[in-house]
Amino acid sequence: MKGVVFNLLEQAVTDAYGDDVWIDLLEEAGVHGAYTSLGSYPDSEIVALVGAAARQLDLEAADVLRWFGRAAMPMLAERYQPFFAGHVSARSFILSVNDIIHPEVRKLYSGAGCPQFNFSNDGEGRLVIGYRSPRQMCHLAHGFVEGAADRFGEQVEIEHMACMLEGNPVCRLAVRWLH
Amino acid sequence: MSPGGSLASLKHCAPPRDDDLDARLARAERRVVRERAARIEAEAIAEQGLRRLYESQQRLLLLQRITDGANRTAEIEAALRVAVTEICRHMDWAFGNALLVSAQDGAVTGCDVWYAADPDAMFPFVEASRHVRFETGVGLPGRILADVRPHWIDDVTADANFPRLPVAAHCGLAAACAFPVMVGDEVAGVLEFFARRLIVPDEDLLGIMGQIGTQLGRVIERDRARRGLIHDALHDAMTRLPNRTLFMERAENAFVRMKANPHACMAVMVVDLDGFKSVNDSLGHQAGDALLIDVATRMQACIAAAEEAARDVGASWRATLARVGGDEFNVLVDDVVDGAAVGRLAEAIHRCLAAPSVLAGTHMRCQASVGIAFSNPTYADVEQMLRDADLAMYRAKSQGRGQSVTFTEQLGTQVRQRTQVEHELRKAIAERQFVLHYQPIVSLDDPDSICGFEALIRWNHPVRGLLSPAEFIDVAEETGLILFIGDWVLREACAQAASWHWRTGGERLPFVSINISPQQFLQPEFVARVHAVLMETGVTPAAVRLEVTEGVAIMDAARTSAILEEIRAWGVKTSLDDFGTGFSSLSYLQSLPFDALKIDRSFVAAMDDSGKSRGIIQAILNLARTMGMTVIAEGIETVEQEELLQRMGCDMGQGFRYGRAEVNAEAFAKLAVC
Repeated sequence: MKGVVFNLLEQAVTDAYGDDVWIDLLEEAGVHGAYTSLGSYPDSEIVALVGAAARQLDLEAADVLRWFGRAAMPMLAERYQPFFAGHVSARSFILSVNDIIHPEVRKLYSGAGCPQFNFSNDGEGRLVIGYRSPRQMCHLAHGFVEGAADRFGEQVEIEHMACMLEGNPVCRLAVRWLH
Repeated sequence: MSPGGSLASLKHCAPPRDDDLDARLARAERRVVRERAARIEAEAIAEQGLRRLYESQQRLLLLQRITDGANRTAEIEAALRVAVTEICRHMDWAFGNALLVSAQDGAVTGCDVWYAADPDAMFPFVEASRHVRFETGVGLPGRILADVRPHWIDDVTADANFPRLPVAAHCGLAAACAFPVMVGDEVAGVLEFFARRLIVPDEDLLGIMGQIGTQLGRVIERDRARRGLIHDALHDAMTRLPNRTLFMERAENAFVRMKANPHACMAVMVVDLDGFKSVNDSLGHQAGDALLIDVATRMQACIAAAEEAARDVGASWRATLARVGGDEFNVLVDDVVDGAAVGRLAEAIHRCLAAPSVLAGTHMRCQASVGIAFSNPTYADVEQMLRDADLAMYRAKSQGRGQSVTFTEQLGTQVRQRTQVEHELRKAIAERQFVLHYQPIVSLDDPDSICGFEALIRWNHPVRGLLSPAEFIDVAEETGLILFIGDWVLREACAQAASWHWRTGGERLPFVSINISPQQFLQPEFVARVHAVLMETGVTPAAVRLEVTEGVAIMDAARTSAILEEIRAWGVKTSLDDFGTGFSSLSYLQSLPFDALKIDRSFVAAMDDSGKSRGIIQAILNLARTMGMTVIAEGIETVEQEELLQRMGCDMGQGFRYGRAEVNAEAFAKLAVC
């Protein structure tokens, strides 16, 4: 898992609960805790951190991930402004996610397990996001979509139609825009 | 105070008191904040640098691929096709199209060179773009013509100068960009691209597109120079044969003379070399040129010999051999009385090409496809004769190498019919006239239990009713429309399978077996297409079986193996279809990781009468078992066949005994009761 995700998690937790909580999480999760965005760290560490946060906050891990994804979006916008430039809607931004992620992962590690996103429209005018990744972080993706909607001042309703965590080959999130 | 200045004075400061700890802590925290800020700035700088480096490397690779493609060919269309395909795949854009500027009217017209990542969904836009014509200033390509620079459109559905807007909106296209292909200062062509998401122009991209435009411009320049040379002179520089201009002059004169003399006939032959392109590709232009010269010399000699032999027996026909294209020759046979002489001449040409050419120590073999058209009262001019000879040549080519075909009314009718079918197929794709039927595949141990279905395409023809593939697949393959149809079949079948699973609450997981046409399989992006369909339909990969025919699988065994491995890594299964009817050797079978074999129905049908057939099937079954492959026997019609195959150890069966191919509702109903 890319270091930037750890950085964002640290920032989200620190902003909401303070520095000390983050340090406690690191220690409870038993991870080494020094993450640079240029690095890549074992997936087990992010899982352990999310687990520790879930226990501390008395939430399900899935809810922690969703909260985190949503809270991280403004931070991403600040750190990676160029990726947001030119997009006038959340949908436009979401469709560009492969362009953002692939080079980011491959520039450091060729062939690294890249999360894959596929986009189509269903009969009801919803955007269907197909997500597949060995890390199975669909709830994080869910949170990112909510965060993207926040950023562009839009309201969305997301249905988690199929999930890798339940044995499906691909996660499918159907996003409906509300006006 | 001791002497030594201010620094020395600090030595005598008192040690920190407790309440200074708070101040120290505060300073330490501020230091952490500054360190973090510095770290984040360092990361941002490094990240940006690495990303730019990566993207620039990727774009250089893109440029390299396109340059290689452009250098390998003298034909503009081939170079444009490489460019359009590579750019779309690199940038993950949905559609790319190439247009050329016409010298006569200064407009820019599509030359049927395009790429669509998702052919089925893009079909209407493909049709609207591949031959589209724009005047200067009109539409996206017209803008390039007018301004001689790249253009971007953020949202095509909101653009005032975009005639194809309705079709683009229908296909879900959002953004577009286009670049000129320059020869010197002049726009010779336009490459346009469309995406379903925003396209962000940046300096690097503009730079690379400019370089690509220049490379392609060079190909156009080379082609123009070549045509210019041929046009000005009357002879082809390389082979010294008459060129097209001289040929047409003589042919037209001969035509006029023939019209005046009721007893004389003339004929034209179109001679197209088979396999010339692969010689060029594998051994390079110089070898290709040497081969052309050798071929031309041989044909010239053989025609001269035939002429002389004819003179000796009192005939008086004359023949002119001309080089009219890259690997295309025409022969004019004038003043011929006995039509059979022309057929014999064609045979002589085939014979003289039979022996390989030995050039620079390498053996190269070149055969020809010959189309012949005889004069008759219905022809108004020689162009019409050449057109028909051309049609006959294409028919000869489709029959294999070294063939001759003479144009007849019947051939003409057949061609017209095929053109009609092609036209109707295009309409069928646009109007969604196709439907999938499903034929059950059962376990031979328990024939009441359906393991899966084979998806078979049918065409709901508005006039002719329900048509089976036999009535249209070969036209679809010849015209390349199979790409759109096959793409639709793949997605439709996977969506259907996903729906079966969902409707049975995940209880039943029957597989769907989908035929993949050779052309689909040979597409460079076949694997990506399969992946996209899996993602889009959410079907369980293990419930998808792709059937590939033996013929295409062994065409390039290494590539087939790589494709199969990738597909299997997702859990998709693959079957070798029509097994036993191709020419594969057992060593191929060993190296191609198929999951299943389908025994062709002809073997099953012959089983009743022939112990030999039974023996062959048993051998296939043993082979499959050794290699861990499942076997499905097709065409089971009787209970005797079923029992025999079951005893021999065949796993699954398909055929009229278990059901015909039916619409989805019927097939699903069968599933529910077994």
